[in-house]
Amino acid sequence: MRRWAHARLRTSFRISREGGAAAILTMGMAMSGHASQAAMAGDVELGRYLSSECTTCHGAAKSDSTIPPIHGLDQRHFVEVLKAYRAKTLPNAAMQNIAGRLHDDDIAALAAYFAAAKPR
Amino acid sequence: MTELTRRNFGLLAGASLSALAMPSLVLAQGKPKVVIIGGGPGGGTAARYIAKESNGAIDVTLIEPQKTFTTCFFSNLYVGGFRDYKSLTHNYDKVKKSGVKVVHAAATAIDRDKKQVVIAGGQRIPYDRLLVAPGIDLKFDSVPGYSEAAAEIMPHAWKPGAQTQLLVKKLNVLKDGDQIVMIAPPNPYRCPPGPYERASMFAHVLKKKGYKKSRIVILDPKPAFSKQGVFAEGWENHYPGMIEWQDPKMHGGIKGVDAKAGTVQTDLADYKAALVNVIPAQWAGKIARDANLTNASGYCPIDAASMKSTVDPNIFVVGDASIAGEMPKSAFSANSQAKVAAMIIRSELTQSRAFPARYSNTCWSLIAPDDDIKVGASYEPKDGAIKATSTFVSQKNEAADLRKQNYKESVDWYNGITADIFG
Repeated sequence: MRRWAHARLRTSFRISREGGAAAILTMGMAMSGHASQAAMAGDVELGRYLSSECTTCHGAAKSDSTIPPIHGLDQRHFVEVLKAYRAKTLPNAAMQNIAGRLHDDDIAALAAYFAAAKPR
Repeated sequence: MTELTRRNFGLLAGASLSALAMPSLVLAQGKPKVVIIGGGPGGGTAARYIAKESNGAIDVTLIEPQKTFTTCFFSNLYVGGFRDYKSLTHNYDKVKKSGVKVVHAAATAIDRDKKQVVIAGGQRIPYDRLLVAPGIDLKFDSVPGYSEAAAEIMPHAWKPGAQTQLLVKKLNVLKDGDQIVMIAPPNPYRCPPGPYERASMFAHVLKKKGYKKSRIVILDPKPAFSKQGVFAEGWENHYPGMIEWQDPKMHGGIKGVDAKAGTVQTDLADYKAALVNVIPAQWAGKIARDANLTNASGYCPIDAASMKSTVDPNIFVVGDASIAGEMPKSAFSANSQAKVAAMIIRSELTQSRAFPARYSNTCWSLIAPDDDIKVGASYEPKDGAIKATSTFVSQKNEAADLRKQNYKESVDWYNGITADIFG
């Protein structure tokens, strides 16, 4: 799943040509770096509510979709990707906008929820 | 069913005085009941989310007359030949599997005093909370000479079904040199970029046939429209000289139509067109108006933090029928609003946690093959209304591969949201 998500990000990078190098670098650091304590302590119930915004697009996503599946995603990976969208180092206007209003606690909550969740 | 209804009504009547202050009383007397009117993006989403998230603790009934639902969103892609009609049609099998009781009947009235919905045949269905999502009705008489009968000649195709099929049928028999006139609707209306995406799809079909002489005139009662700059750029790129958009200063006012003669009159010119697409003004679906859930605007005022009607604390209104502040009337908005309403309804009936409302929307519009633009925003309640907190919109001169990616994304979004609504 993690490898696949990376491929997805690289595809997005190629397409938009926005800040791609920074994005890949950020991801690389995240993968080899520290575990996010916040992600592990995420409020699953809050995450379940917030997840309803995600599932509009991601709920039925397949591995070959432009919109990737996010159920079962590794928490640390999830946190870093959303923070990268929030920082606009990953491209996609819709995702940057959605991540833009998420606080760290929201992201941790979403990561905690999706790590164990199945589509509704 | 009559006995059951009567018994439930008695219990509810007994509890009604204290139910709001002490929701546990409702619980003590059996499962709380939620009834939902309308099985579209708002109603379908709310039904599934309340049923699934409450794990069967809430009795959910969805009232929808049609056995299948054809989406208005993406119907322009059917017009342009990018989708077949069947791909827009969904059934309620998975909604039922989610634990929702689906009643295929028309809701004819809301008895707000008794907290019951009356359906065709007179049966009454009691509720503790009612969610109303009837979508829009068309104000046929907003365009002089237009009527439901005239729509059989000059289709509106602004509600899914036979009207959309009629529009496509008429489009596909046009000859080179035939003219198309579209009368665009005044604000507020369903799907703000929709008329302009549709004009793009008309042009695509004509261009694909190699037509050189046909023209599309859009007569607009508005001085501006959604994503106007990028639409105009796309029309110039793909269909130079084919689409002419006129604002009120240019046409001087839309005087009316004559369906039999196939003519449209404005203050400055008369048009005779082989295809006239009249998209009239709109307001909330009849059942919401009849229940006095609407205000003078014809739409339903709601509390921005909950989607609860401001005129009845037991009723929520989502989707196109609601006055949702800065949110556009779109399937995405309805789906988003339904999730907030579902969360608040569960909280009121089962004491589940309530969270601050957050809303979002994205609208994609296809201008030509692989040239898709989008607009979107996040929204939150502020000063009593739903306000945008951040927005984004496609820009002029964007890379072709980004526009192509937008199109693929829109197709994946369609698969996602229809699964979210219908299971």
